[in-house]
Amino acid sequence: MRYALTLALLLVMAFSAGAQAPPIKIGFASAMSGPAAITGEGVKWGATLAVEEINAKGGVMGRKLEAYFADNKAQPGEAVSAVRKLADVDQVDVIIGQTHSGACLGAMPVVKEIGIPMVIEACSHPKIRELSGKGRNEWTFRVALDDEIMAHTFARYIARTGVKSSSILAMNNDFGRGAAIAYEAAFKKANVKLLSTDFFDPGQPDYRPVLTRIKRAGAESILAVILASDGAPFMRQYHEVGLTQRVFSRGSLTTAEFLHQVKDNPKIGDGVIEASYWINTLDPEWDKKWTERYKVPPRVHGSLAAITLKWAVVPALEIALKKHGKADRQTIRAALEEVDVKDSPLGPIKFDANHQAWINMILIEMRDGQLKILEKLPTSPALLN
Amino acid sequence: MYAMVAAGLALMLGVARLINFAHGEFFMLGAYAFWYAYSEWGLPYPLAALLAPAVMVLFGIAYQRSVIRAILPRSWHVQLIATLATSIVLTNLAIIVLGAQPKEVPTMLSSRILALGGFRIVWQRLLVLAAALLIFWALQRFVACTRTGKAMRAMSQNREACAVVGVDVQRVAMVTFALSAALAAAAAALVSPLFNIFPDMGTTLTLKAFAAVVAGGFGYVNGAIAASFLIGLTEAFAGSYISYAYKDAIAFLIMIAVLLWRPQGLFGRRIGI
Repeated sequence: MRYALTLALLLVMAFSAGAQAPPIKIGFASAMSGPAAITGEGVKWGATLAVEEINAKGGVMGRKLEAYFADNKAQPGEAVSAVRKLADVDQVDVIIGQTHSGACLGAMPVVKEIGIPMVIEACSHPKIRELSGKGRNEWTFRVALDDEIMAHTFARYIARTGVKSSSILAMNNDFGRGAAIAYEAAFKKANVKLLSTDFFDPGQPDYRPVLTRIKRAGAESILAVILASDGAPFMRQYHEVGLTQRVFSRGSLTTAEFLHQVKDNPKIGDGVIEASYWINTLDPEWDKKWTERYKVPPRVHGSLAAITLKWAVVPALEIALKKHGKADRQTIRAALEEVDVKDSPLGPIKFDANHQAWINMILIEMRDGQLKILEKLPTSPALLN
Repeated sequence: MYAMVAAGLALMLGVARLINFAHGEFFMLGAYAFWYAYSEWGLPYPLAALLAPAVMVLFGIAYQRSVIRAILPRSWHVQLIATLATSIVLTNLAIIVLGAQPKEVPTMLSSRILALGGFRIVWQRLLVLAAALLIFWALQRFVACTRTGKAMRAMSQNREACAVVGVDVQRVAMVTFALSAALAAAAAALVSPLFNIFPDMGTTLTLKAFAAVVAGGFGYVNGAIAASFLIGLTEAFAGSYISYAYKDAIAFLIMIAVLLWRPQGLFGRRIGI
């Protein structure tokens, strides 16, 4: 009887301890205001949906997740403030972000200084990989592929289609400039002659001057490093100027987000081929949930933030809780190094010595106003050679 | 687009002696008003394009009565901070209320191309040009021939003297703001079918319009209109022949060059508007 009572008491204590287990705080940093606010809005929506989904299933080993948000305005300086807000004010255990390469590069020294793990969902500047990992910034991990990883494969593909020359038109920020450098080298290697490189500030109303410039350069193709939000005016003016060059892209031109914007003329982007690692058809259930909730198609950055949470951070939290019974910043950081997910919508997620995950690369084509995956390619460090 | 926004800004500067840094947000709100009327309510384009300026007239009056009336007698520092703060508040309110997703409002004319030899242009741009010329002509007639227009011109010369001889200074200022807001909304309704509508769209526009106002002669409307065309053309040529990334910088360099050459602006003269 005494044993039974003790056991019952222990069980009650265990359950009440479980019920009182503090939530795990996840911070999301992105551009919530300013010209790039569409990315932050998407991150907020995606994170909210993913956290609700995880909590509805009981959380992570019985512990609920709580989402916190900070605005980096897509700027390096603001990214520092966003990290400090999440780490010091909200006291989050791990950060997912910062969506924009410049903001990522700005946030990296401060996450190292504070000692808080940051899992990057979308920034694709090649420098991030060089600066991360053992002996460098051990607190930064990246799920997204960068343009150095994708450029050689994509440039070879472009050359295979018979294209001999190209012009680059890229966003005038760290993402665009990083991509332009990577593709300049990759085109050279693939024997595609680069005839011009131009940059534009996001939110431009008038692309005709630069399109005229590209027309004059006479390249057979354009590599546009551009997001969906700028894609609609860009493609409309591409037709207005009368360009016939093939368009290849990086960013989010071949997305449901873009097609949603050009509903009046969905075939406007026909023929564009994009190198990417995400498309809404990779996870139909997510696509359905998002569309039902927000009445617009899933956005790239919000979906990537959710995938990063579900397939990189949650497995790390499970490892931390199973092995150490706690999920503090140091334990989560160590657990992220052990994450080995084989079947995320993006492909395998396992961080190498540079804390880079080698997810799949996909080539997407727009045809008849629809998106079609042309190729799905596994990636590896060998692609850098 | 620059010309119509700059004309409104020049009116405010000329009549009220105030630089409204929230003027780009008048354009943004006008664009959203047009989007709502055209895409959400499904009104025909001409009706939606007329409704947007009408809505913005009310906004301009409300803005003048709430923000401007309080800061008009204060120093320029206060005016600058207040209008800049309004700009930030309006942009972020738009993000919260309307969302950050860019809105597209294509019309029948925005994708139909007129091709004459090597020259290609969408019909909507021709409509913008024709409508802008008509609006500028109407504005000229209003300022030159109507009683309120004359009062506006008088105020641009000497506000105190106007008050002494019985001109209702606050009413004229209110009309000026209403007119400026309507001009910005008309520009928005005309050019929105050519690109995206998004909360931050007015920020750079204010600076460009301000550059046109300064280069054109500090509050002289015709000067601002002419300088806007100059800036637009320079941007197009700079973007096409020098560097697209630095076309904005080139536009501002022109403003500096004009000021060095003619400190009173290209068309500066004693009568303000």
